[in-house]
Amino acid sequence: MSTDAGFIELNDINMRFGLPAEALPVVLQGIDLSIAQNEFVSIVGRSGCGKTTLLNIVAGLVEATTGTVTIAGNQVRGPGQGQGVVFQQHALFPWLTAMGNVEFGCRKADISKSEKREVCRQLLDLVGLSHAADKYPRELSGGMQQRVAIARALALDPEILLMDEPFGALDELTRIELQQELLRVWDARKKTVIFVTHSITEALILSDRVILLSPHPGRVFKDYQITLPRPRIRTDPAFNAMYQEIWEGLSA
Amino acid sequence: MKDWLSRYGPSLLVFVVLLAAWEFATTNGYLKPYRFPAPSKIAMGFVEIASEGFPEDLTIWVHTRTTVGRILQGYIAAVGLAIPLGFLIGAFSTLEKLTAPLIIFGRSIATLSLLPLVIVWFGTGELTKVVLIGYGCFWTMISNVIAGVKYVDPVLIRAARTFGVSGPALFWRVILPAALPRIFAGARMALGVGFMVIVGAEMIGTVEGLGALIMEARNFYRSEITIIGMLVIGIIGFLIASGLLHLEKMLIPWDTGLDEVRR
Repeated sequence: MSTDAGFIELNDINMRFGLPAEALPVVLQGIDLSIAQNEFVSIVGRSGCGKTTLLNIVAGLVEATTGTVTIAGNQVRGPGQGQGVVFQQHALFPWLTAMGNVEFGCRKADISKSEKREVCRQLLDLVGLSHAADKYPRELSGGMQQRVAIARALALDPEILLMDEPFGALDELTRIELQQELLRVWDARKKTVIFVTHSITEALILSDRVILLSPHPGRVFKDYQITLPRPRIRTDPAFNAMYQEIWEGLSA
Repeated sequence: MKDWLSRYGPSLLVFVVLLAAWEFATTNGYLKPYRFPAPSKIAMGFVEIASEGFPEDLTIWVHTRTTVGRILQGYIAAVGLAIPLGFLIGAFSTLEKLTAPLIIFGRSIATLSLLPLVIVWFGTGELTKVVLIGYGCFWTMISNVIAGVKYVDPVLIRAARTFGVSGPALFWRVILPAALPRIFAGARMALGVGFMVIVGAEMIGTVEGLGALIMEARNFYRSEITIIGMLVIGIIGFLIASGLLHLEKMLIPWDTGLDEVRR
């Protein structure tokens, strides 16, 4: 494989649900994407443009009708190939405590139980929840639940973090807080992130690159490199100019 | 004590007023005593059945012990059979499709309509009663176990798959704990069925047990004894169900979602 190939490569991904004979609408068409290691990429698009499906294909949870995904040169054939996933709903196991949920994610067989515990404690610490280790998900606020979900995904020690509108259900303030938190984690742990969102602001705050999908069928419509310096300021004129550009792309 | 009074006081008062009205109505001839025996008559009947017994020597304690024994035997056998079978059927969708009609069919047959057949098969002894109770409990239990396993939130299964958990590990670590609240709800409902079946199951070939007591009292026009039998069945049912609820709260402390099913 060539040296300038991306860390994650999507080659001509096509997706339709059901049998081809049923003539169901095509969900994704001819998606080619190349994502570099440690890049933070947001995927933005209207509802029904196949963002979540695309993420699930990279996660190995859904198989594309045609086309391939490779991670570091290895073709994705299922989950557990270095993809950590954070879902829209927190998807925490209600019968496990915050700690138990993170431990569920820690699948390393070669370390002792106490070492495992230590790793998970550090992860809870990283997301600012070491005080809530023994709480059940239902005892946590929405923001805290999503923090645990992030820690649990990180426990897999994944190279890639796939996030499907993870902050969509949170209130504005918690959302801003978690965006900052995520950037801190991204900085500390050096992950490649694919982040699906409805929010242009969220994409601009977080990403190195924003990819616009057009609906019916889902196609890569625009690919923006975001070169604004970090930390990004929402009221910065350059930020707003970029916002406007993406908005116009989205409305086109 | 004050908390207790303000919480239960009003409903207790309603209860006492109703009892008083009942007593007044029967002793003054507004209600026929053999149709609605006065509370005082029921109380005297209780003293009689607790000391001398009815019929002779069979005190309320003997009846209770016998009935609880029968219900528990049938119930435990049914639950013990329904849990592994339900897991198996719930885990494999082909098996679920094959057995679904059978389960709806079995559940729809009123347990007591089987009485004549069960007598032919097992005679009029203890086994018949236990089998009838077990039959009633079984269908309720297995339906709930299957539903519990089948309707696990798919998001949880997807989350587990992202950690490479699949196959038997997925079943033990995700599906089973996710199904537990529903399984417990089923266990409580099945117990209720056991108590509903008991009177019918004890109609045949015995004078021992609360169900038999109720039928026997009818033969002697002792309606106050019938009412005592009903009350005792209600009280035991309530006690056992509360015990199960406590066990459930201990075993599944994370659950809050099934509060309305719990009652």
